[in-house]
Amino acid sequence: MLTKLIHSKERWYLALASLLVASCAIAPNFWPEIAQAQQAARTAERRTLILDRAPARSIADPNPVFRAIAIDIEHGEVFMANDKESADTSVLVYPSQFPPTDRIMEPKRRISGPKADLGMICGVAISAQHGELYSVQGESGTINVFSLSANGNVVPLRQLDGVTPRSTAGIYLDAKNDELFITTEHVNRISAFPRVFKEDEEAKRYIQGPKTMLADPHGIYVDSDSDEIYVTNHGNWRETVPGEGERRGPDSLTRSALGYTEPGRVLPLAPSTGKFIPAAITIYARMGQGDAAPIRTIQGPKTLLNLPDGITRDPVSDELVVANTGDDSLLFFERNAGGNVAPTRVLKGSRTRLKGPVGVTIDPKNNELWVVSWDNHIAAVFPRIAQGNIAPKRVIRTAVDNAPMASMGRIGAVAYDAKRNEILAPN
Amino acid sequence: MSQPRISVYAGSADGNAVPTRIIQGEKTLQARTSHYIAIDTVRDELIAPNPFAQAILFFRGGANGNEPPLRVIQGPKTLLSSPDNVAVDATHKEIYVAQFTNDAILVFSNTARGDVAPLRILRGPKTLLDRPIRVEVDPINNVMAVVNDHQILIFDRTAEGDAAPKWILSGPKTGVGTSIGTRDVKLYPQGKKIIAGGLIRETGPGATAEESAPRNAGFGYRGQRFIGAWNYGDTGDVAPVVALNNTPISKIPGSRLAINPAAQELIVGGDGVVFIYKLPEMFAPAK
Repeated sequence: MLTKLIHSKERWYLALASLLVASCAIAPNFWPEIAQAQQAARTAERRTLILDRAPARSIADPNPVFRAIAIDIEHGEVFMANDKESADTSVLVYPSQFPPTDRIMEPKRRISGPKADLGMICGVAISAQHGELYSVQGESGTINVFSLSANGNVVPLRQLDGVTPRSTAGIYLDAKNDELFITTEHVNRISAFPRVFKEDEEAKRYIQGPKTMLADPHGIYVDSDSDEIYVTNHGNWRETVPGEGERRGPDSLTRSALGYTEPGRVLPLAPSTGKFIPAAITIYARMGQGDAAPIRTIQGPKTLLNLPDGITRDPVSDELVVANTGDDSLLFFERNAGGNVAPTRVLKGSRTRLKGPVGVTIDPKNNELWVVSWDNHIAAVFPRIAQGNIAPKRVIRTAVDNAPMASMGRIGAVAYDAKRNEILAPN
Repeated sequence: MSQPRISVYAGSADGNAVPTRIIQGEKTLQARTSHYIAIDTVRDELIAPNPFAQAILFFRGGANGNEPPLRVIQGPKTLLSSPDNVAVDATHKEIYVAQFTNDAILVFSNTARGDVAPLRILRGPKTLLDRPIRVEVDPINNVMAVVNDHQILIFDRTAEGDAAPKWILSGPKTGVGTSIGTRDVKLYPQGKKIIAGGLIRETGPGATAEESAPRNAGFGYRGQRFIGAWNYGDTGDVAPVVALNNTPISKIPGSRLAINPAAQELIVGGDGVVFIYKLPEMFAPAK
């Protein structure tokens, strides 16, 4: 009997040992949790293997950048938009006059934080008269209004949200006529709103349509003396329909301008209209509306326009001043220029420290020209009549001199190139 | 940002790294809002969309600086409408574009140039395409994945016309769909895996305290980003096999994805940063 039991136990041990060996052979390099989770035939009962793991590496630029600039001449302050998400998007406020320094300069004030809801801030404008700062988000088109003295994580005084199409670029306040203008890249549109807008107020008027020749519009300047609107265009063109980008729920004309979650109309498959045209400054009547053709256009090889962005007018010389991002220059044109005309002067060269210039403003009181360059984290101050390859009088910087150039902005994708072992990220 | 560009970093890059090269400048014909870069490993080309000029741009794989594309697909016959994404099947020599504006997938030859018509079009009520934003192709297992407004649809690779999807990932257990934050999908052919992220934007009024907790043991609870992997063949309201949850440790920055299977790395872009995670569990073969 005892011998029989021993033999029985031995059989059990043998069976258990065999099972252990078999399980090890079946599942080398295999997590038991994965095995449990991966029972394809029992997906309803699947228990997900939850991971909580820190990244092995990260690529990020921690330094703020300057995307746009506005100046308060009365109070001697400059307001700069920082759209760097990895450095907390913000409005940075600096004194306009300060001793030259090559050190990183801390701002006097900084508007930032969830309450401020700045998003991908791409434009700023100010009204010293009304004590207001206006910002616009590049992603959503939301316009925020703050007090000029705002600081920290503050709620906007007013916000225009859910009305504007996405992918806004520039903003300008026409103080004389009390109107705010914005440009929208996605739908080739200029929209005008009352400065004191209501929460969900529609645009008072807009310029949009095939005759406008708006082609990926960026910077905007409104001349209330000549009643003209000046807009810089990168040259990516497609035919737009007046009203595209307006949020009309399922009846919206264009889904892609509204954000992924808006329904919008299902467009028929139709012949594509897109084409590349040369970069341009298109000029419109201030009261232009709908599919209004430009009253003149600055465009052509003599203009040297190359991915133009911020634009303003020098009130003293009456010149147009354009931040020419694509070739690291500042271009000046006669205000009435049209056609294929050469700039009256050019500020360009290694001494200027312009690198990806995107915003420009004039301080007539101090006879100075301000340029913000996104790529090298620098705002540079020049004499107002500067030209050629000259060094700035002084700079404001947010990164040390040998810091890497800012290269990643809004990351719309990532890719991996196995051949070169490289990671790619577009803006 | 200043100008449209593609920044390229070493695979081992870490911190405030200097790009190995930057493709930027007027001649590149890029525009803002390029939401995808496809890499044709056979032809050694980079492919990027330009939504504003309705074009697909093909660059040398090692393109640098203000370098023009090798060729461009653009013109009335292409039917392209604000394309912000493109995928490539180097094996079968095709590229795919998801058309958000008209609920369609267009397929072109990967050597196409100029004003050319698509080789085939997937579109119609049976496809269930609804605001598709991304398409990805697996040339080995012959499937194609599409990120839809509230689903991920998996089709046969060669599906065209009004063809129905073969598998559908949809429902609260999946936590995927553009409307809740999915911005990308990746297919891992060797492991037969579908990898995608989701983002549930806020804690809803019906959420339990457990669901609202900052660190929940479950996956995809309300208000949480995650990136999950499903097996090929999963269909319906199916939880992922593996999920990386967003926590104070993982800090998932978004749901733009790339994979490096050889190193078992998941690359995630968003919020102005790129994070690289070592996740061998996500690359384990399906059983």
